[in-house]
Amino acid sequence: MTSEHRKRPAFESPARLAQRPDADPHMKRPASTIAGGLLVFLRVAAGVLWLVALSANWPELIHELEVEIDEVLLTPDELAPALMVIWVIAGVLLAIDFVLGVLILIGFNTPRVLVMLFAVISTIGSFTAWMASGQEIHIDTTLLTVALDILILLALSSRSAAAYARRNEVR
Amino acid sequence: MSAKRRRSYSIGAALDWFFFVFAGLAAIWLAVLSLTESFRVGWWGVPLIVVFWLLLAYLVLPRLHRILTTIYVPDYFIGRTRTSDGLLGDPVNLALMGEQAQVEHALRQAGWTRADPVTLASSWRIVTSTVTRRSYPEAPVSPLFLFGRMQDFAYQQEVDGNPAQRHHVRFWRCPDDWLLPGGRRVDWLAAGTFDTAVGLSLFTLQITHRIDADTDIERDHIVRTLTAANPAVTVDVIRDFSTGYHSRNGGGDSIRTDGDLPIVDVRGVRP
Repeated sequence: MTSEHRKRPAFESPARLAQRPDADPHMKRPASTIAGGLLVFLRVAAGVLWLVALSANWPELIHELEVEIDEVLLTPDELAPALMVIWVIAGVLLAIDFVLGVLILIGFNTPRVLVMLFAVISTIGSFTAWMASGQEIHIDTTLLTVALDILILLALSSRSAAAYARRNEVR
Repeated sequence: MSAKRRRSYSIGAALDWFFFVFAGLAAIWLAVLSLTESFRVGWWGVPLIVVFWLLLAYLVLPRLHRILTTIYVPDYFIGRTRTSDGLLGDPVNLALMGEQAQVEHALRQAGWTRADPVTLASSWRIVTSTVTRRSYPEAPVSPLFLFGRMQDFAYQQEVDGNPAQRHHVRFWRCPDDWLLPGGRRVDWLAAGTFDTAVGLSLFTLQITHRIDADTDIERDHIVRTLTAANPAVTVDVIRDFSTGYHSRNGGGDSIRTDGDLPIVDVRGVRP
């Protein structure tokens, strides 16, 4: 006979779902973490491509733009340096994204949660635009970035990726 | 710090569950987008249909299964293993007594080969050996779960060097204080099935091995090879142990059994 306290319960409490997974400091980096990190790099690459395409079309673009500041219409010549500002801001964001990707591959948890949080926000944004205002999502427009965001979410939210990022947590 | 660490729940784990479920829902949307898009772009739609199938079969459905089975499939012993998606897998149809070294020695004597663990290298070798029709006797087997753990090891026998067909059996060490329903103590539980062919499962839409529905044939084959190879191996049978279970495995294959559970005793084997 086993003693009473060693018997296993025949049902599971829902609180079990919120329990920490068993931490195993020696676990190998799972495929889901590698896939997640590489997808983050792909998103950085997509961002760089977008910047390059924007720069190539910049002269035509600023001719069509009408930007007013204090009721003064800016001329194309005055708009030209704005490209520099876009490059700097987007560059910093992409660099942060890249660093987060590296940290995820090394196995930190906070960068993983941050990247997923951004992916959730951007996915909700695209979904609302698609659902509410009927914005079209096609392969040659935003489908690629939407797909990247969702694939990043799938990879990094998987149990193996979560367990790897939390492998050093004390229970 | 220690008081905070010892909570039975964690905000991080709850957040993980939010991301887990959200990603599953978002993936459904992505599958819908790729399907509608594939009808729009003409011939380019063909690769997109493939992308849609890959998304659905390998990302969306497993995630949904994982979420739903966590909620409703009981996590205690019901005579069945579970797949990594949480679906019910091959039936447990064999029990063993003895140390791991003795079990493995008896299996090797009986002409069984230990399966390689699933790695990138071994997966690649499966692909090449299937394409070139070369034999790969140590081919890995897919992970199945019992007691919340993947199998401890698995053994197999190839049939005529054909990678599509093989005998295979997975082993789990029972937790120390764990007793079979009915109260008997065993050291190992095992699930043995015969892969008949590689095919598309209409259950999960994934490409999997189909198993022979009559799992008793495979069970008896394992017991017969073990007892024939070593006279020190003895067998005891619990009659009608799982007669009540008739169902399908994780690939949607139906399962038939007379319900007997042989207990193979290898404690007399000298490795």
